[in-house]
Amino acid sequence: MNSDILLEVKNLCQYFKSGTSELKAVDDVSFSVRKGEVFGLVGESGCGKTTTGRSIIRLYNITSGNIYFKGTRIAAGTRALEEEYKRVKKERDKLSASKAENAEEALKEADAALAKLREEIASAKSDDKHCNRQYAEEEMRRVRERYEPLLASCLETEREKLEKEYKEALRIASKDRITNKIQMIFQDPIASLNPRMTVRDIIAEGLIIKGIRDKKYIDEQVYRMLDLVGLSPEHSGRYPHEFSGGQRQRIGIARAIIMQPELIIADEPISALDVSIQAQIINLINDLRRELDLTVLFIAHDLSVVKYFSDRIAVMYYGKIVELADSDELFRHPLHPYTRSLLSAIPLPDPVYEKKRKRISYNPLLAHDYSTDKPRLQEVCEGHFVLCNEAEFAEHLKTVKEKA
Amino acid sequence: MKKKLEVKDLRISFRTANGKVQAVRDISFDLYENETLAIVGESGSGKSVTTRAILGISALNAVIENGEILYEGDDLLKYTENEFQALRGDKIAMIFQDPMSSLNPIVKVGKQLTEAMLLKSKSGKREAKREFYRLLRALQKASNAETKELFRTFIDTEKRATRMENLYKQARENAEEANTRVESLLVAFDKKESALVQRECGGILRYASASENEFLPDFSSEEFRALLRELKDGKPGQQALVRLGEILSEQLSRPAPDFFTLAFTARHPEKNSAEFESSFSAAVAAAAERSHAAHCERQARFAQTLRQAGTDLASEWNRTQVRQIVRTLSVGVRECIDPVCIDKDSTEYTFEGCVRSCYERYFFAKKKNAAELKKFEKRTARRNKLLSKGKQPEWKVPPAATIDTDLLKKRMTEAVSALQLLYEKRAKETFDAKGYAERMVAHLKGKASQTTAHLTKNAAKRRAIRLLNEVGIPEPEKRYAQYPFQLSGGQRQRIVIAIALSADPDVLICDEPTTALDVTIQAQILELINKIKRERNLSVIFITHDLGVVANIADRIAVMYAGKIVEYGTSEEIFYSPAHPYTWALLSSVPDLESKGKLEAIPGTPPNMIYPPQGDAFAERNRYALEIDFKQQPPMFRITDTHYAATWLRHPLAPKVEMPQAIKDRIRRMKEEAEHEQ
Repeated sequence: MNSDILLEVKNLCQYFKSGTSELKAVDDVSFSVRKGEVFGLVGESGCGKTTTGRSIIRLYNITSGNIYFKGTRIAAGTRALEEEYKRVKKERDKLSASKAENAEEALKEADAALAKLREEIASAKSDDKHCNRQYAEEEMRRVRERYEPLLASCLETEREKLEKEYKEALRIASKDRITNKIQMIFQDPIASLNPRMTVRDIIAEGLIIKGIRDKKYIDEQVYRMLDLVGLSPEHSGRYPHEFSGGQRQRIGIARAIIMQPELIIADEPISALDVSIQAQIINLINDLRRELDLTVLFIAHDLSVVKYFSDRIAVMYYGKIVELADSDELFRHPLHPYTRSLLSAIPLPDPVYEKKRKRISYNPLLAHDYSTDKPRLQEVCEGHFVLCNEAEFAEHLKTVKEKA
Repeated sequence: MKKKLEVKDLRISFRTANGKVQAVRDISFDLYENETLAIVGESGSGKSVTTRAILGISALNAVIENGEILYEGDDLLKYTENEFQALRGDKIAMIFQDPMSSLNPIVKVGKQLTEAMLLKSKSGKREAKREFYRLLRALQKASNAETKELFRTFIDTEKRATRMENLYKQARENAEEANTRVESLLVAFDKKESALVQRECGGILRYASASENEFLPDFSSEEFRALLRELKDGKPGQQALVRLGEILSEQLSRPAPDFFTLAFTARHPEKNSAEFESSFSAAVAAAAERSHAAHCERQARFAQTLRQAGTDLASEWNRTQVRQIVRTLSVGVRECIDPVCIDKDSTEYTFEGCVRSCYERYFFAKKKNAAELKKFEKRTARRNKLLSKGKQPEWKVPPAATIDTDLLKKRMTEAVSALQLLYEKRAKETFDAKGYAERMVAHLKGKASQTTAHLTKNAAKRRAIRLLNEVGIPEPEKRYAQYPFQLSGGQRQRIVIAIALSADPDVLICDEPTTALDVTIQAQILELINKIKRERNLSVIFITHDLGVVANIADRIAVMYAGKIVEYGTSEEIFYSPAHPYTWALLSSVPDLESKGKLEAIPGTPPNMIYPPQGDAFAERNRYALEIDFKQQPPMFRITDTHYAATWLRHPLAPKVEMPQAIKDRIRRMKEEAEHEQ
């Protein structure tokens, strides 16, 4: 696997039961986020962008697909594998019933395939369940490796102190989880902060759950985070309702970065804020990203902000990624009709332009003919993927050539 | 252009446990006919508070301290709750921010849509009936014995006329429905299957045969009946349907007959109705003249009392004395109002409410102010004590929430003198009895006709479905029977807009209608509001915190900050030559598609309006603040005839300050693009 890919999402599906039917909130989504970049996820409300974010942070049990973080599988769904297993099994049964010639060979093949699938399902299930424990064990091993030679070579007087330290480190490592390295900033700063907790408690909660008991250390960290997000230590004793919307969002950010994450999932962090405060929060996230070397998965519906903020952008529509490209490329050469309609809806502070602006409307039934040829995500030019079938693909290739 | 709504020096504050929050501080703006005024500002700047005051739905702890909101010459701030109910929805409608919380979750969309229409039709009918009889009774009382017979005949004739009109309107309504069905059937005649055509034909037949009326003669003709028979067989040719549509629309395009004349000749075949009308008109003129003369005399007598009250009120107020004065004045003014008057003067009609509220609030304030001052002194003393001990208390002392008693006193004396002026003016004018009588008779006939406006549930449903179509909801018949939670966010907002339009308002207030929606839906809703505004000649007040949104729809823009309008001008002026640093900051804090580098965020947060700053409220967050900004509030400086900005930077002595580079670049780019396209 490429070492600078931090997060990889493969064939992610997230279905919700609604009554007797199933709602496909996220349907076969694949993308990868490189280390240090800002990856934007855009789409209208209800298109599954928030669900994608929440699935990555394991707030939901995913239905199907794999999510890799730093090369480790942190979530896996087995639906697709199980369905495949059922299909192969049925075929095998049919084959064994038909008693055809050279069935022996085919049966053997099918059995091998079934065995392989069984293994895959088992490994997915175990990874899904035990990835955090495995990570904790790894961490504990690392602690042991660090302390054991120290303990062996230390003086008798320091031994007791060192042993205590070692024990503490082991305890903390045993509670560590790989998903701690992914943190989320939520959309609504009012709903996502507990009104009965002081700011200090809210920010420190993650550390406490992690098993840290050193009050002085916690306080130090909380004050440092408050300072980083532009609040002062006096604020730590107050309750969320005493803050304005922008300040509350800052608290939410402080709560996320205290866990020293490598990936931040920012789920519409500014859409509930006033315009004048939005810029403050965007600048803050941008500064923190540089300072703490963060990777950001930025979910939003405001295209001009996403454009300003992101290196690469994926456009989602009804649970599927329809276009994925570098942000400049996407805005310069939008290929999918939905992306074009989305771009045509951006309001600009220019009355003359606005009066002339024509919005392109998008109707998937009129825009595509997928009756015979099913669409899939295809690379049109380097790094620019579009959801299209073969006929559309040829057309896109032509337009790209013309523009170049 | 005609002014629709005028807000003058409005000042609103909220009483809270911590002190008085000054939410709106002396703002003035006008709304012209058929224009969109955008009010832009961040949350807490007072934009919603202002519009809520226009509709009389301010929060309970709101105190309107000063100002006027004039709508069609009436001051809305002096309206009672009953008067407001007639205004809300009917004349001024509002679209709220969150479509989920402004719809009733357990009532179907259709019912919520038709509710206002049905209620309006019912109450309008009752209102018209009451007004009709009140005016006639007053006129009858003022007339002499010989003409009383004329009034009786008039009422009798009107009763018959309304009955005839009622039947006519019902038949017409049916014919209209049949006509629209014929048209829609014709449009899709080729595509429809025969079963569908048959069903449609049944509907047309039902409505067309119910549209028979003696005043719609074409519907009783032999040809029409033959066509209907053909429909009954279930297989009408296209030709027949076209002819049917022609007959229906031709008959419908003819004006309605004069029911009054018809009813009169039916009852009194020997008399001429024109003669009767002229004699009735003369009787009305005589009665009105007599009533007017009597009331003028009464007013002249009352003027003496008014003068006395004016001098009494100018001195120190004594509770019993003022109460007595208020009582005599209210009773006197009520008696002096001419009951047969058509052109109502708001000074007369709002006088009683004004003096009563002034009186009550004055003596309430006397008591309250003392307590407030005491509280203030106590708190200041406590703070001073802490300070003298060398401590630094984190809290400030909120200023005493006192009510300006002098202002109340002044307002009361002003009301009295305004009434005096009105009476003097009226005494000098000559009364045009003939013109008055003509208008009065027309008014009475109009009221009688209004009592017939009959809106059945079916008709309301048809109108609701037409409205749903107008706001762009697909399959309106299906949506009509659904609950709000079954619809998506954009559709819910469309329903809210349809409800706001259901009672045909003049003024539409949109309070952040797109903030809860995403970009594509936002663009659709904005286009919809624009389209409806054009089609219905609405005046729109559009509230938002996002300047980018309003470029599309606003004709004029007012930028609000901390309860004041800091800049206003036409849309082009605000976007291409913004003058106030706050507008600059708003424009530069939004990234556009070309933005690179750090955004120019506005530092800090808006000031706490319990302690409004002494100088310019924006000074603390303003990079370009001058020294004077911290000391004195800037006045509105005129830039062009339509463009004003409240910033000291516009003072001739101020240093030259250019707007930020980022905005300059953007404006230059926008202009280049515009030229390039031309």
